[in-house]
Amino acid sequence: MAAAGQGGRSGGGGGGSGAGGGYSSGTGSGRSGLLDKWKIDDKPVKIDKWDGSAVKNSLDDSAKKVLLEKYKYVENFGLIDGRLTICTISCFFAIVALIWDYMHPFPESKPVLALCVISYPLFILSMFVCFPLNRIRTYFVMMGILTIYTSYKEKSIFLVAHRKDPTGMDPDDIWQLSSSLKRFDDQYTLKLTFISGRTKQQREAEFTRSIAKFFDHSGTLVMDAYEPEISRLHDSLATERKIK
Amino acid sequence: MVRAGVVGTQLPTSGLDIFGDLRKMNKRQLYYQVLNFAMIVSSALMIWKGLIVLTGSESPIVVVLSGSMEPAFHRGDLLFLTNFREDPIRAGEIVVFKVEGRDIPIVHRVIKVHEKDNGDIKFLTKGDNNEVDDRGLYKEGQNWLEKKDVVGRARGFLPYVGMVTIIMNDYPKFKYALLAVMGAYVLLKRES
Repeated sequence: MAAAGQGGRSGGGGGGSGAGGGYSSGTGSGRSGLLDKWKIDDKPVKIDKWDGSAVKNSLDDSAKKVLLEKYKYVENFGLIDGRLTICTISCFFAIVALIWDYMHPFPESKPVLALCVISYPLFILSMFVCFPLNRIRTYFVMMGILTIYTSYKEKSIFLVAHRKDPTGMDPDDIWQLSSSLKRFDDQYTLKLTFISGRTKQQREAEFTRSIAKFFDHSGTLVMDAYEPEISRLHDSLATERKIK
Repeated sequence: MVRAGVVGTQLPTSGLDIFGDLRKMNKRQLYYQVLNFAMIVSSALMIWKGLIVLTGSESPIVVVLSGSMEPAFHRGDLLFLTNFREDPIRAGEIVVFKVEGRDIPIVHRVIKVHEKDNGDIKFLTKGDNNEVDDRGLYKEGQNWLEKKDVVGRARGFLPYVGMVTIIMNDYPKFKYALLAVMGAYVLLKRES
């Protein structure tokens, strides 16, 4: 247990004890030097502890880091890429409307304008259906009830990763991370979902902790306290697999 | 450890770091920030264009700039317009029209209408608070307005709300500063 923790700390590089084990090479050559100064991936994460969204983002990012670096899973960008493309396409509709209206002043441009104005929200709605970030919202949209009410309790998926099967025969297992942190609340819930590639069965594990357990008074995320929780979550799902 | 020291002295990492959120992002997240900004602008644009299509008027929401329609409308009131072709223009109605050669629309009341059988009309307008009719405002030699000059007919109004637009037009630097701050906030802050 202790050895695994140590391994995680030096691997994650986020520990407060700056061993300085950086990944980006500090060679100081011109362009990579500039990039090094810009990227602050390896420095301990320090945020404003009163800013709820910054807290949630840093906890999510660190959980992602643990899964990707310690367990060497590969992130699957399908969901995210899909959303980005759909949003880009809807912006295209807006640009088309703008340019068309500029070139053919209003009354003549009415049909094109109407088409663009209708397609813009339709595309965005389709994004919620095709690339859902959680299951509950898909249900609502499909039922035709557009809830603008942001359900604080809904957890949104922020990481889809897969582990390539070493034998190359079975389809990949999928790990999903989702989390929630209510506004002005200190209870952070992290849920890890494991979908077996072979049996297509799904198992979940989650924990809810106060964010005060992971951040010190200056707003620095203490990986020594956070990383074991993630590992424990992961191992609880992984060991079940071995038993079966 | 040496490298960490070099980074520390050459870039401010304490105090106000407005790029703090951006520096922790990968390419996709950076693209999402830009996309988020574009989506907000596009949504506003689509709502405006949608209103244009719905009401049939090229400027469905206008602000009253002068006091020529008091006591009905005061400077700073917001007006909602529609411009459906089937609606007849009758004396007594309040219309917003544009005079050829000027780009600021005028809000006044129709006082005289001549209508042909095929629907062509000529009408004369006057502000409620003015002494004379608007012939002095029309183009040189023009005595009547036609349907094509109409931007829309007033259907509803909100008092005082338009003062914000008037202030922003009188102090354009304030408008640009406000837009720049809002734009920077959306681009630089990472949302959850």
